[in-house]
Amino acid sequence: MSMNVIERQTSQNPVEPEKKQIEEFHSGNEMAARAAAQINYHLMGYFPITPSTEVAEYLDEMRVRGEHNITMIPADGEHGAAGINYGASTAGGRVFNATSSQGFLYMLENLPVQSGTRFPMVLDLVTRAVSGPLDIRGDHSDLYYGLNIGWPILLARDPQAVYDMNLIALRVAEHSDVRLPVIVAYDGFFTSHAKRRVKFFEDKAVVQDFIGPVPTPPVTSLDPRHPVTIGPYMNDPDQMNNKYQQSLAMYKAGDVFVQIAKEYERISGRAYEILDLYRMEDADVALFILNSAADTARDAVDELRAMGIKAGIVSPNIIRPFPKEAIQEALAKVKVVLVGERADSYGGHGANLTHEVKAALQEIHTPIHVLSRVYGLGGKEFYPDDARSLFDLCTAWLDGEQVADFDYFGVHPGDEEAATIALHHGLPPLSREEMSGYVSVAQNEETGELSVKAPNLRALTKKPRRLAPGHGACPGCGIFPGIETFLKGIEGDVVVLYQTGCAMVTTTGYPYTSHRVTYLHNLFQNGAATLSGLVEMFWEKKRRGEIEVGEDITFIMVTGDGGMDIGMGPAIGAALRNHKMIILEYDNEGYMNTGAQLSYSTPLGHMTSTSGVGPQGNGKTFPHKDTAQIMAATNIPYVFTGTEAFPQDLIRKAAKAQWYANHEGLVYGKILIACPLNWKSKDELGNVIVGAAVKSCFFPLYEVEHGKTTITYNPEQKDERIPASDWLKTMGKTRHLLKPENAGLLHDFEVEIERRWRRLIAKHEHPEL
Amino acid sequence: MKQIETEHSHRFLEIRMESIGGLGANLAGKILSESGVIRQGLNGWYAASYGSEKKGSPVKAFVRFAPHEIEIRGTYPVDEPDVVAVFHEALLHNPSTIAGLRTGGTLLVNTKRSPAELRGQVGRNDITVACVDALGISVREGTRINAAMLGAMCHVVPLLDVDAVRNGIAETFTTKYQHLLDANLRTFDGAREEVTEEAPLDETPYVPSNGATVGRALGYETMFVGGSIPYAGNSIAKDLSASRQGFVPTFNVDTCIHCAACDQVCPDACFVWETRDNGRGREFQFLVGIDYQYCKGCQKCVEACPTDALQTAPEDEAYVLANRVQKFGPANFAVVNSSAKEVTSR
Repeated sequence: MSMNVIERQTSQNPVEPEKKQIEEFHSGNEMAARAAAQINYHLMGYFPITPSTEVAEYLDEMRVRGEHNITMIPADGEHGAAGINYGASTAGGRVFNATSSQGFLYMLENLPVQSGTRFPMVLDLVTRAVSGPLDIRGDHSDLYYGLNIGWPILLARDPQAVYDMNLIALRVAEHSDVRLPVIVAYDGFFTSHAKRRVKFFEDKAVVQDFIGPVPTPPVTSLDPRHPVTIGPYMNDPDQMNNKYQQSLAMYKAGDVFVQIAKEYERISGRAYEILDLYRMEDADVALFILNSAADTARDAVDELRAMGIKAGIVSPNIIRPFPKEAIQEALAKVKVVLVGERADSYGGHGANLTHEVKAALQEIHTPIHVLSRVYGLGGKEFYPDDARSLFDLCTAWLDGEQVADFDYFGVHPGDEEAATIALHHGLPPLSREEMSGYVSVAQNEETGELSVKAPNLRALTKKPRRLAPGHGACPGCGIFPGIETFLKGIEGDVVVLYQTGCAMVTTTGYPYTSHRVTYLHNLFQNGAATLSGLVEMFWEKKRRGEIEVGEDITFIMVTGDGGMDIGMGPAIGAALRNHKMIILEYDNEGYMNTGAQLSYSTPLGHMTSTSGVGPQGNGKTFPHKDTAQIMAATNIPYVFTGTEAFPQDLIRKAAKAQWYANHEGLVYGKILIACPLNWKSKDELGNVIVGAAVKSCFFPLYEVEHGKTTITYNPEQKDERIPASDWLKTMGKTRHLLKPENAGLLHDFEVEIERRWRRLIAKHEHPEL
Repeated sequence: MKQIETEHSHRFLEIRMESIGGLGANLAGKILSESGVIRQGLNGWYAASYGSEKKGSPVKAFVRFAPHEIEIRGTYPVDEPDVVAVFHEALLHNPSTIAGLRTGGTLLVNTKRSPAELRGQVGRNDITVACVDALGISVREGTRINAAMLGAMCHVVPLLDVDAVRNGIAETFTTKYQHLLDANLRTFDGAREEVTEEAPLDETPYVPSNGATVGRALGYETMFVGGSIPYAGNSIAKDLSASRQGFVPTFNVDTCIHCAACDQVCPDACFVWETRDNGRGREFQFLVGIDYQYCKGCQKCVEACPTDALQTAPEDEAYVLANRVQKFGPANFAVVNSSAKEVTSR
């Protein structure tokens, strides 16, 4: 049994746990999912983001096995997820979600709405660095944005605590004195993905007994006999009184936490105090530090104690409300405390908790000295030696040495000489000349129709690729043949914007880039807006004569199908404004960059990590999104579909796309690309599979030019149409659809394919449609 | 229950698995650590290096064991392992693969080569070198190599209880992939029997070289402001050959019709072309070969080839070296890999 557990059991009043528990070996995310399943929340609105996504994946696996019946709603983004959860919480049911980093920031505006109107739920914040540049690893910079949103925040420093705190959190949230949504924060990767020995209640009835029935809420949105107006328009002086109510409830949450934690200790044997104190009883020097790093730092304390230095650690289990009195008590006799923070409040001479600790200590007029260090940003590892170095700063100060009050710990200046030797300086810029002269577009003066002249693939091998080799995509990835075939049709200078996704992550891992043209990234709900800003700046600078560009630059946004879910709004906005740019979507039918969760483009019945297959699940429950038709409805000049399996078709469409983007306005194109890893298909078959998707009429090749639809390849006319099952049998993710027991589902899918195909033919045949 | 006896390590037995995504190192690490904790009563900790979810990129898995009553506090990676298990031989080109391996520790490699040959390559006399043809065994049994690596690890790490790990495999495959159970157990047992090892030649501690590295080069004074990369296409410095899982496309120019179907479907821009006069005064593009530095072995080109110019063949290092056509010239070649902390130029 680990020391953690021993200490928790014996901290106050050792009691034999009443309820039977089993010991297993699990990660933080697994334990969060287990707690949520045992609670059996009514509903979870979620959106995938690393490293919290696994929680939804594990819950989906359990749902498919019939282990809980939480309604799981894949949102269109975290903002949408927050809305789903808020709406659900007003109905007085139990609501859960897990998120991280940008996802947390994207939902941020809705979170004070929920606390201000007082509807409980539990949100697991699996802490991760905030962009930019984009970093998926663990730090606390997302958590710090949550300090002012009015949600009580519990911390869980290891997988055991993740389970325990999730059970405690719901009780705190629903307590009649509190009625606030509660965050449980644990460290991304360090806790979420690392496995440890853990205990949990074997019988979920124990959990059900502990949480009890849902308390009757003061108001509910689902009682027509008692109409209620939730969220009125409220200005001064009323809103301030509402906030005071909220403030009182937040402080109450601290007392309620203590009470619920005691109750939990009686059934689990594990005690959670307001602060975890390690060897603080007579400490001269102390480290105040959150979550997993506090665990790591214990080795340094033992080492220092062995040398006669009285060191200790203070690590809070709750930071909202801020445990002022407990900290005052713990640090009253300490000479130096170092507040280690895995986040910064830039320009604040120390991040937020530094100042909160200082303020608490100022009230008791202790002579203690407070040092502050920002450490471990972007997931930089924290070793026992690092903890030792932080304590050394404390003892150096005690010895009268000069020690800066605030600084970064763990940065290094770099070495120019090493940079010249070790860092590759890449390839020379592509000239406009070498990128031109292959493909031409002519407009018929009378009809206005475009005609394209493009050479064969062999001749086009002379045209340099705009992406260099050396990227880190999976073997057989369809993204690059898709994009590069498209780019073969694009002449001259290009600036690209990639939204977050596989193509972005695999081509720009610092300090290497595969891009030979200027590239920028923005988060994957905002690429279209970002590129539209750049496009307009280009034209404005051109108008003012501030840039000399002989010919136009073609601006291309590259996004996955996930980016067209969360970024649908900005994409439609850019389309309605009709900026001169191209949006190119590579559709691999899921959120493959984060581990193959379903996207709205995932077809009916297809298996993903959040649309599992098993006794209670048969893949995705609703049909794929028809993004091309949605974009066509914005009346932009040109919309097309394409795949690498029909290269000349795609190159022709690229040439037209460039002509329209440079002469008229926004172009949208969707290319279907293979993802062998998550389609569970053979690496070498990508081209064949996307070709089969076209020939089955699931993914028709067509264009919509000034509203007129033209099917550019009709497999029926060529006598090349294949049944959908011939396409589906090539992929592991769809093999279940071919089993006799799923004939009905396959039929539904075929009917949907046929319905859309017939509508498209009608549009092709009637120019007014 | 076996006791942990690692004199050089004050408390833990630490194992690091070096692999590429898709070989099952993550699952191997889970089975190994869970077997130790649940079936051997050890305390344990398990984590894997985590980037994005990509197949073919380097991954590391970490296992830390302690006696049952000893607390494992840290969540940091294993930097000074007692055992390094290398799932893909090509990873040994990168010095970071065996970095930190303790004197007296064990290096286990999936290879057809002998321990003596491998010792020559890694230049370490102070460690046990163990070899197992995990790929050969798994091809024979139709399994992934992770069961073979687990079997070999059980042989070279005395602490590991064969039955505990074997039961771990059985449980994994019984619940999820019943049909693969027997083949995986045969793979596991085969590797235990076939692994060969050579004890340390001496105990002179190894001193790592301290060359110019990208890790040292870039800091707050040398990084471009805002994290921009002021270079174009410098990913050409990367060597992706370790992404291959035993197969390469071979190229026969004599039957090539230079149609470029291969080039068009290649995700990794491996094909090298030349512009030549066709003998009648017109310039044409001619395929001259494959730059195997970038080839991840997906075989899409073979599938696309309308003739027999491209064929799938088991990877043979001599063939690859002799037939590689360099796309960007020798100055661009450096051994790097994307997940390594220290990236060494040569």
